[in-house]
Amino acid sequence: MIYLDNAATTKMFEKGVDIYKKYACQFFFNPSAGYSQAIDVRHDIDKTRQKIKDTLNAEKGNVIFTSGATESNNLAILGSKRNGKWEYVFSSGEHPSVYNVARYLENQGFIVHYVKLTENGQIDYEDLKNVVNEKTRLISIMHVSNETGAINDLSLINNIRQKYCPKALLHIDGVQAFCKIPVNVDELNIDFYTLSAHKFHGPKGVGALYARDVSCLKNIVYGGGQEEGYRSGTENVGGIMAMGYAIDNIDITKNYQYVEKLKKCMENELETVKGVNIIKTESPYILSVSFSGVNGETLMRSLQDKGVLVGIGSACSTKKAGNRVLENMGINQDKIKSHIRISFSEELSLDEIKNAGKNIIETYQYLLEKVK
Amino acid sequence: MNVILLRFGELYLKGHNRNIFENTLIKNIKIMLEGERFKFEKTFGRYVVCNYDEKRENIIINKLKKVFGLYSLSPAKEVDATMESIMQEINNIDCKNKSFKVFVKRADKTFPIPSMDLSKKLGEFILTKNEGSSVDLYSPQCEIHVDIRMNKKAYIFDKIIKCQRGLPLGSSGKGLLLLSGGIDSPVAGYLIAKRGMEIEALHFHSYPYTSELAREKVVKLANLLSEYVGQIKLHIVSFTKVQEEIHKNCKAEFMITIMRRIMMRVAERICDKYNLGAIITGESLGQVASQTMQSMTVTGSVVKEKPIFRPCIAMDKEDIMKISNEINTYQTSILPYEDCCTVFLPKNPVIKPTIPQAMREEEKLDIEKLVLECVDNEEVMIIGKETN
Repeated sequence: MIYLDNAATTKMFEKGVDIYKKYACQFFFNPSAGYSQAIDVRHDIDKTRQKIKDTLNAEKGNVIFTSGATESNNLAILGSKRNGKWEYVFSSGEHPSVYNVARYLENQGFIVHYVKLTENGQIDYEDLKNVVNEKTRLISIMHVSNETGAINDLSLINNIRQKYCPKALLHIDGVQAFCKIPVNVDELNIDFYTLSAHKFHGPKGVGALYARDVSCLKNIVYGGGQEEGYRSGTENVGGIMAMGYAIDNIDITKNYQYVEKLKKCMENELETVKGVNIIKTESPYILSVSFSGVNGETLMRSLQDKGVLVGIGSACSTKKAGNRVLENMGINQDKIKSHIRISFSEELSLDEIKNAGKNIIETYQYLLEKVK
Repeated sequence: MNVILLRFGELYLKGHNRNIFENTLIKNIKIMLEGERFKFEKTFGRYVVCNYDEKRENIIINKLKKVFGLYSLSPAKEVDATMESIMQEINNIDCKNKSFKVFVKRADKTFPIPSMDLSKKLGEFILTKNEGSSVDLYSPQCEIHVDIRMNKKAYIFDKIIKCQRGLPLGSSGKGLLLLSGGIDSPVAGYLIAKRGMEIEALHFHSYPYTSELAREKVVKLANLLSEYVGQIKLHIVSFTKVQEEIHKNCKAEFMITIMRRIMMRVAERICDKYNLGAIITGESLGQVASQTMQSMTVTGSVVKEKPIFRPCIAMDKEDIMKISNEINTYQTSILPYEDCCTVFLPKNPVIKPTIPQAMREEEKLDIEKLVLECVDNEEVMIIGKETN
């Protein structure tokens, strides 16, 4: 099997599983309890907190552990919500866990702006300038697009914010970027940053929200007051520790350079074929490509039979629902239908990429022959 | 003692065959209650489920409600047929601030008090025991039934629960249901089973053009259906090659017509192979292009020796959806996985095809070979619990 859907999820580090087990069976204590064993566990999860801050280059601020990116995004957006005539700014390429919160705010009567996307998948920075103003409460934009791999220029976004709405909060959904693309939240004045462990070889069901200043945040779930009251519920200790292990064992720069080669190799394989259309984007981890004349889902399933697993992003299988993000980039329906997403990991070899590339081309041409 | 009284429906219309129908029904009841502790009694014209775990009464009632051929049932108290025991039980019934009516049936004429007198007596007793209660003979809020039987027992109950009705499963042979994954075909299967027909199901998939999820959905639908119709043998046939061949060789607008004609041929072959007596489809007149009178004539004409039953033929979509909700298949049916490959679907399918037109298109294909390949490569799954 050649797994090329690493933007959907990644394989956990096996040693991370051992760590998880250690904290499930040996140091299984509730970190909120008062005896020394529990206090030790609390200190251990605090180490993961620090690792996240270090990776984000955050000197100050808090890290709140959550059940994953969906919860982190909800907490950042809804937890910083204030009554009054505030406006919100989102990109129209956001993941559903942000986009649907935006829709919710809209239904609640807030004015919500959706920043346009350009054809390369990044936000339209001119449009961002147009929609922000002194009433903007929060700007929420993803770091790397899960659909296309486009990287938004956070420094440009921050500059626009500083110039036009310095009081607005800035939330970055960093799910496809954390531990993959370097980021400096201090320099960029980022208020909230979302991450999810299973996207970087950690376990599923655990993630975090970095908050520069928690005083602008209110809890959205009520309970025992864990995570300093910002996220009640006993911490997923095993998951947090396994996430910490993953952070320790990822070399962002080295992986970036290696995965870049993988993406280039796949692009070279596919580019030669007529009908193949690659959306050129910055992240080496994601390659978005369409195969003219063939349904992306059909291609995905045929590839599965050959042991090559690719994604179709959040493209829905219904006839009606297309792919919102690609549509917002101005891509036509035919290309959207024939679109697949190939996403990489440093655990893949160049040979595997070449092999998968050949398989993809062969399968594409076979299907094209059948349906033309 | 808690018991459940059962009433049979249409069976009373049967003459000499009644025994066969009745035995089938009783067998089905026993199968439906498999795994439960219970005793089934057939005495003096009454059918009674008793000696069961009273904590499981609701579960048992829900199971019985799914047995075709049962008209209604009542959870009841069984007491000795004496005034004292009857009064004692009636005393437990709460009619405070409600109107009520007492129904007495006295099959045992040796019981000393005539029905009318007993009704009055019990009514008086209830009035004195329940504050604010009143008698209403026309639309009472509580109906209290006292049924005195020949076995010197009285059954007291206040509820009559409607059941499925219809005929006992297995009393009308066995047929093959074309199960697509949509809303209509499970309903068609349910309706025909309600007339006593056991069913097997046939599903066509077009992997990789359709997804595995579509197939899982059909398995789930068969499972839901099997709660009513018992175990289902599900035949799964790959239609990919047939569709590719039609697409390659035939006129685009005939895609669906030819496809359905081949499906019907495959269905008849499977009927022959497994000794099934009919083909059942979820077609509803005029619903889509392939379900016009002309289309059905053309697709049905390839089936030579089996009847095609279409229980939904005259039903509105809304009526079909209502049944689909009742039998709990609706939510699964509307899951958005394509049941038929849309890659090959023409923009303008022919609405009024004719048999000669279809035959001309089919000359471009090796129909016999395609049909045989479908039948030979079928995959069979057994779904739901054993019924026989």
